[in-house]
Amino acid sequence: MYSTEISRSNPTCFVFLIDQSASMQDNIGSGEGQRKCDVVADSLNRLLSELCIKCAKEEGVRNYFYVAVIGYGSNVGPALAGRLAGRELVPLSEIASTPARLEARVRKISDGAGGLADVEVKFPVWVDPIASGGTPMSQALTRAQSIVSAWLDEHPTCFPPVVLNLSDGESTDGDPTAAATALRELASTDGSTLLFNLHVSSDASPAVSFADGDDALPNQHAKLLFGFSSPLPEHMRTYAQQQGYKVSDRTRGFVFNSDLSSVVQFLDIGTRATDLR
Amino acid sequence: MQVHVSTFWTPKRGGTQREYEDAFWVGPDGTGAGDLQLDALTVAIADGASESLLARRWAQRLVTSFGTMPDATTGAAGFLAAYRTAAMGWDDEISAYLAERRARDSPIQWYEQPGLAKGAHSTVTALQFWGGQKDERARWAAAGLGDSCLFQVRDEGMLVSFPIADTAEFSYQPSLLPSRETEEDVVRRHICLRTGEWMAGDTFYLATDALAAWFLRSAAEDGRPWEPLRDLDTVDADSDFPDWVEERRDRLEMHDDDTTLIRIDAIRED
Repeated sequence: MYSTEISRSNPTCFVFLIDQSASMQDNIGSGEGQRKCDVVADSLNRLLSELCIKCAKEEGVRNYFYVAVIGYGSNVGPALAGRLAGRELVPLSEIASTPARLEARVRKISDGAGGLADVEVKFPVWVDPIASGGTPMSQALTRAQSIVSAWLDEHPTCFPPVVLNLSDGESTDGDPTAAATALRELASTDGSTLLFNLHVSSDASPAVSFADGDDALPNQHAKLLFGFSSPLPEHMRTYAQQQGYKVSDRTRGFVFNSDLSSVVQFLDIGTRATDLR
Repeated sequence: MQVHVSTFWTPKRGGTQREYEDAFWVGPDGTGAGDLQLDALTVAIADGASESLLARRWAQRLVTSFGTMPDATTGAAGFLAAYRTAAMGWDDEISAYLAERRARDSPIQWYEQPGLAKGAHSTVTALQFWGGQKDERARWAAAGLGDSCLFQVRDEGMLVSFPIADTAEFSYQPSLLPSRETEEDVVRRHICLRTGEWMAGDTFYLATDALAAWFLRSAAEDGRPWEPLRDLDTVDADSDFPDWVEERRDRLEMHDDDTTLIRIDAIRED
């Protein structure tokens, strides 16, 4: 299970659920005055950027993935900005070629003499921070279920779809566990749909990456999201370990006030370009 | 020494020939094939990483360098010299590529920049034969880094499997040579070297990972994977190489990847 290589002839889908409720206006606990909606939008833009870079070849970005971004707040629906607004499942090559805009950001890199130098890099933006309305997480998970179900009808042998939920966990349309369970039960011949959660919280507790239990999690929202996060398949645990995360066979795709972009590196599209050590 | 060399390749499913990212070299000029009568022969095979940009160009640079530098297979120093030669030209390769893109009015996109800065990655395995004249011993030397493999078959048995002998060693993370030159001590730790002897009637197979893994798995199950490969391009062949590979992909016996085979038959001079 979870061994099918993702390819253009057998692509998979990636569904992002992004919490855009009013509570996302609050600051994240561990950040320096960053709003949760900014953190979530930044995380999602970085994830999409990493995914495009991973699949980039000379002739363009290859369609190993089809991507949907669903926002939930005042309503539940497609959340891509710019020319992709209103679109649901978009081939990755189109995601890459159609960000809403490219922002110039400064990144620090080694100057080769023991110091750091500022370089300007282009940062693509597909999703803007939004914070309004309630948190209809159950509806969002049900929407993901319909996208994944339709995808699996057409791609029954694909690497299982990955759904990434970015939220503060404060669902306002009831306990989302049933909708999450139904989503995780959808399966290709290679395994069940993977549901991972990035919990952004105002709680100042220490960040947690890839938790393997909920004892150390600070509140019931974190425990709820952890509870319905998929366990990391074995090969993903291996990659997580290689990236320095502490994992066990109970580790789930759940992070608390931390970075989830490493998930992109857990996906196999062919031989990895890694340097010798 | 008299050999017959055959080369076969096919891109991964859904890929075009332009997107094929393996490379191979059959000496002395890289294009040798058919019946060859030579004092020495070098062949090389490389597999550019799927996640690299310009992987085919890098794989091609490696096989050219390893195919033309006579000491590339005989020791770590020769291997490192061949690697350095390939890597030294990488900046020029990038400049040429950027010029091509400008000429096509196709500017580099934001998602290409990190890959170009990182450079490309590839495996390489090279094999050199010499000797076999009159009383001279018939020798070979091989050098490799990564999971492109060499198999020597004699009298319906596999004599050598190099540098990998166990299918469990294949993964998405083989050792790869980077086009951005890296510390020699680090490269040295990953170099595999092997020498042996050959005799008329032996057959050598160089294969990139998908075929190599199939070959080893089949051999481990008491199969004779060399039989269908020996028949390719002969009147006994049931199908051509792309169709033969496709059948195995359909049956999930072989990983869907760019697939390359070089077959060298040491001819019996009757």
